[in-house]
Amino acid sequence: MGEYLSANRSGDFMALLRARGLWREPEAFAVRPSQPAVQEAHGTTVIALKYREGVLNVGDRRATAANAIMYDRAEKILPLDDYTLIAIAGSYARAMEIVRYLQHSFKYYARTQLQEMSLEGKLAEVSRALAGNLSMALQGIGLFIPVVSAYDLERGEGRIFFYDGMGARFESVEFGAAGSGSERIRGVFDYILKTKGAFHEMTLEEALRECLLLLDIAADLDSATAGIEKVLPIARAVTAEGILDIPEEQLAQMKESLRR
Amino acid sequence: MVYTPYDFNESVRHRTEYIEERLRDGSPVAGISYDGGVLLLTLRRTQRKIFEIYDRLMFAGLGNQSDLEIIRVGAIDFAHQEGYARSPDDVTIQRVVGFAISPGIKRAFGDVLNAPFVVRALFAEMGKTPEEDLFYTLNYDGEFVSLNWAAAVAGTPEAEEQMIRQLVPENAESAPDLQTALHRALRAWAAGRLWVIDAHLEEEGTESLSEERIASFLREQLQDLQVEAAILDRFTKRERKFRLLKEEEIRPVLPEG
Repeated sequence: MGEYLSANRSGDFMALLRARGLWREPEAFAVRPSQPAVQEAHGTTVIALKYREGVLNVGDRRATAANAIMYDRAEKILPLDDYTLIAIAGSYARAMEIVRYLQHSFKYYARTQLQEMSLEGKLAEVSRALAGNLSMALQGIGLFIPVVSAYDLERGEGRIFFYDGMGARFESVEFGAAGSGSERIRGVFDYILKTKGAFHEMTLEEALRECLLLLDIAADLDSATAGIEKVLPIARAVTAEGILDIPEEQLAQMKESLRR
Repeated sequence: MVYTPYDFNESVRHRTEYIEERLRDGSPVAGISYDGGVLLLTLRRTQRKIFEIYDRLMFAGLGNQSDLEIIRVGAIDFAHQEGYARSPDDVTIQRVVGFAISPGIKRAFGDVLNAPFVVRALFAEMGKTPEEDLFYTLNYDGEFVSLNWAAAVAGTPEAEEQMIRQLVPENAESAPDLQTALHRALRAWAAGRLWVIDAHLEEEGTESLSEERIASFLREQLQDLQVEAAILDRFTKRERKFRLLKEEEIRPVLPEG
């Protein structure tokens, strides 16, 4: 007891967890190309679209393990803090742990250092968490791909960042998507951009309509994606006022209007 | 040289005198539950004094700034590693103060070869209702006390009593609104500070801490000091419940003139 009074002053949450033996390092086994013994749950399709006030995120709620549907109400769009959303696809277990780590890491920095972590710092922290996950991902388990949406208060605009499994980060101009269904609908984004104009000029209503349609198409083309029929998707936006949860009624109404 | 129990008692007495002498002049901190959350209030010169510890925990204190800083970061470290390893629901004021912080403070106090902490600290935890809010006061010797509705730390224990009288008036019923809580906390600060500064007050009794006397003292103090007040907001949808109140939110409760 009393160990807490010899503090970690760096604001680095991973350093604290390592010092206290609480960081779960992914174990490094020899890489075996065979099918992994563990069946993990996977999140399927998440979409991020810019709109006038910020970035809208929509995700179906299915989690699958191989071809079995594990769960119908998975939450794949989570707030990291008041101005950052993360949408996750791939290994659900690992993603949830990393998300919990990131949420704590951002708050830990802000509380100990008495200033917010910069957007650049937060994005680098996501990269670092992904890179730390690499040895597991190489064995074919624990791989997940995040899409990070942030409201950049300095620039006064929403921004979308997507990553690869090693932690490389790319900024997207208009949209981002991840998960098995996202591969099938890649071209639809471009089709909308070329026929209906830029996403960032749409109202929330318009962006939400496109998102639900995209998810519906993804579900038609990808067996792992639940789409919008059975359980309503989850929708959250990040704006200058913080995180906005799109209420279920609004989603239900929008879904009905698409059917007409 | 032989170290005897007498020496131990003697050294503890010296340390106590030294610490209490230094604490007397500190700026008090008032804590109070209100219907929409928990409020901490103090007056300061430049240095910030009220801090967020975790989602539903905040902290302030008086004494040596670097000692307060050690406690602050220690509490944040403990809260975050617990919140991550288990769940945010398992991070409670009772565990942070009772298990993580207080034993180290007590050990430092008893260790005559090292400098003791010069602090009186106040922790606040927001519950789902005002009834579930909790305050802990922590003294330089590791002693801590838990309280409901309101709590105070000041230069002397008598001054703290005066503050509680202002924070929880006899006719008080349910949890106040934020305006009333701010009003009471500001007057409590003044009562706590006045009680230490003005040696006559003890003879004159509590009744002499009239509304006018407190107001004129506050007017005088506000020439050099500014009010710092922070809340944990019970009903916000934001991730961060902690917020420092803005100047315009505090201004209405300041004495006029």
